[in-house]
Amino acid sequence: MKILVCVKQVPDTEAPVAIDAGGRWVGPVFSFRMNRFDEYALEEAVLFKEFQHDVAIDAVSVGPERVQAVIRRAMELGADTGVHIEISREGYMPPEVIAAHILEYARNKGYDLIICGAMSEDCMHAQVGPLLAEMMGLPSLTAVIAAHMREDGCSLDIEQEIEGGLRRRFELVLPAVISVQTGINHPRYPTLTNVLRAKRQPLKRIMAREIPLMNRFGFREAATVKQGVMITGSMREQAREVVRILHEHAIL
Amino acid sequence: MDKHIVIIAETGATAALPVTYELVTLAAAIDPDHIEIIVLGTDCGDIAHEIAGRTGLSVTAVSTSVEYTPELWKDILSRIIPGRGPDLIVIAHTACGQDFAPGLAVRLGTSCITAVESFSRTAAELTFTRAILNGKAHMDIVPDLSPCVVTVLPGAFEAYSAAPRAPGSIEFIQSDAKPCKIMPSGMSHPEEEDAIPLNEAEVVVSAGRGIGGPENLDLIERLAARFKRSAVGGSRPLCDLGWLPYRQQVGLTGKTVSPKLYIACGISGSPQHVAGMKNSQLIIAINKDPNAAIFQVADFCIVADLVEFIPLLLDEQDGTL
Ligand SMILES: Cc1cc2nc3c(=O)[nH]c(=O)nc-3n(C[C@H](O)[C@H](O)[C@H](O)COP(=O)(O)OP(=O)(O)OC[C@H]3O[C@@H](n4cnc5c(N)ncnc54)[C@H](O)[C@@H]3O)c2cc1C
Ligand SMILES: Nc1ncnc2c1ncn2[C@@H]1O[C@H](COP(=O)(O)O)[C@@H](O)[C@H]1O
Repeated sequence: MKILVCVKQVPDTEAPVAIDAGGRWVGPVFSFRMNRFDEYALEEAVLFKEFQHDVAIDAVSVGPERVQAVIRRAMELGADTGVHIEISREGYMPPEVIAAHILEYARNKGYDLIICGAMSEDCMHAQVGPLLAEMMGLPSLTAVIAAHMREDGCSLDIEQEIEGGLRRRFELVLPAVISVQTGINHPRYPTLTNVLRAKRQPLKRIMAREIPLMNRFGFREAATVKQGVMITGSMREQAREVVRILHEHAIL
Repeated sequence: MDKHIVIIAETGATAALPVTYELVTLAAAIDPDHIEIIVLGTDCGDIAHEIAGRTGLSVTAVSTSVEYTPELWKDILSRIIPGRGPDLIVIAHTACGQDFAPGLAVRLGTSCITAVESFSRTAAELTFTRAILNGKAHMDIVPDLSPCVVTVLPGAFEAYSAAPRAPGSIEFIQSDAKPCKIMPSGMSHPEEEDAIPLNEAEVVVSAGRGIGGPENLDLIERLAARFKRSAVGGSRPLCDLGWLPYRQQVGLTGKTVSPKLYIACGISGSPQHVAGMKNSQLIIAINKDPNAAIFQVADFCIVADLVEFIPLLLDEQDGTL
């Protein structure tokens, strides 16, 4: 069984947002990590490998050179091969463009299962998985919170998480694309062997071709929408003020 | 400029979900005269009547051979939508909407804009706005292709409430589309333990990933214990990490709460979390990042390290008891 896991590099939650005067999203230029949803996607692939025979896991990421860090991370976490689809410049890429780049690489490679995260923490589109599936002509399920191989060896029992924690169940015929929700498993730490291997093993590098945009877009910081009252002063003064507010609202 | 809009209704077992009427509000703000609604399901006649009655809009009820699968919905919709020639297809950004909308867009040869929270228009074009970076920034998108598929975040618009002059017309279609690669096999409800009634608590103190480690949950519990009828809640990552049970999760895929007081500790304020707590009467947020999006929904904002701040707060409360 061949599995492809799509991993994205995202800025740290606490990193400052940098948007230039032209509405382009330009930063940060440091403090990146793997999209958390994709850690679950990788762990799910590793679990398949532990329970099935002959599973090979490839991890792919689309982006500038810096994203090689998450591809190496994916190998530390258990991917056998790392694939870098290289984009020559920085900057936002829409989900249909990312999906088209992955399609270009993944078509005709015989993947039985492609695993994405439910959503990227920075862009929050929740689209790349289902877009890629449709472009490849494969079935897709999102918000996957449980996935188990059926006895026939060629379909999965899937649980999809819907609002309020309810679950919808499906039988999904492979090959297919699933987008996994956090909580589907418990991602583990890398093993030493994998860490050493990830250091040495070369990545497969592919130069991406240009893909035309479908929409126009711009970015702006959100702080202007509405802001609550900032409580200022030393921490002690802030604490005192909160207690006063609680009394004022008759909550304490 | 006319915009023809098709809304795909989001339904529960017996009724349209509130978000369906929020989609109508968005559509009516764009072009009230050219809206139609499609509802799908094995048994959706009553729901179609409900929607046509409440909105006065024309409804197409597609009765399907089996329950929802994204494959089936895409098959059916990609067959009936092109003939109607819409400029815009509006879908709820729910688990179901997110599941089929992007693929539907691909089938219609267009793009999909997800989790839209607001829009603006000029004479010539529509701009859709959505949150990125857990709400720290916004993205404005102008679609260049027609039709355009958009999914709209639940709660972003008020539910449509204008009383119609007459119920809308209903067209019934029997779909013969069959599932092929995805078979529905029912619903399940993960076993719920004896719940602390999180949604009945008057004060909810919630922890996010910013608490750093499970050892700091004690601070959150001690703070909660200072209030009567209080409960501890949390963001989803804490439940995924196993630091809190899932029944204490607040948000889209957890509980929706509207207590008198909600204290968010180390929570960034992602739309999925905010969806579950924004109707709290008073919101206090503690976060060390001054730009955290939670400060946009909070009434009072404290920029501080919670590990240092909460003990001081407990201390100050002691002083006033
Ligand atoms: C379909 C779907 C459904 C979802 N449903 C839910 C849901 O129901 N509920 C939910 O919560 N999430 C849900 N999520 C996840 C959501 O998108 C966010 O990932 C999540 O809410 C982030 O949790 P957080 O704020 O605790 O963590 P983070 O986003 O990592 O934020 C941590 C915050 O803590 C602050 N911080 C760090 N250290 C300190 C410190 N020492 N003192 C003070 N502040 C500190 C940081 O500045 C940061 O703002 C869902 C996602 C998807 C895709
Ligand atoms: N640049 C990228 N490279 C590889 N995979 C990606 C990339 N962007 C998104 N993905 C995958 O698509 C999922 C959903 O992302 P999004 O549609 O941006 O919310 C992520 O969890 C990843 O699995």
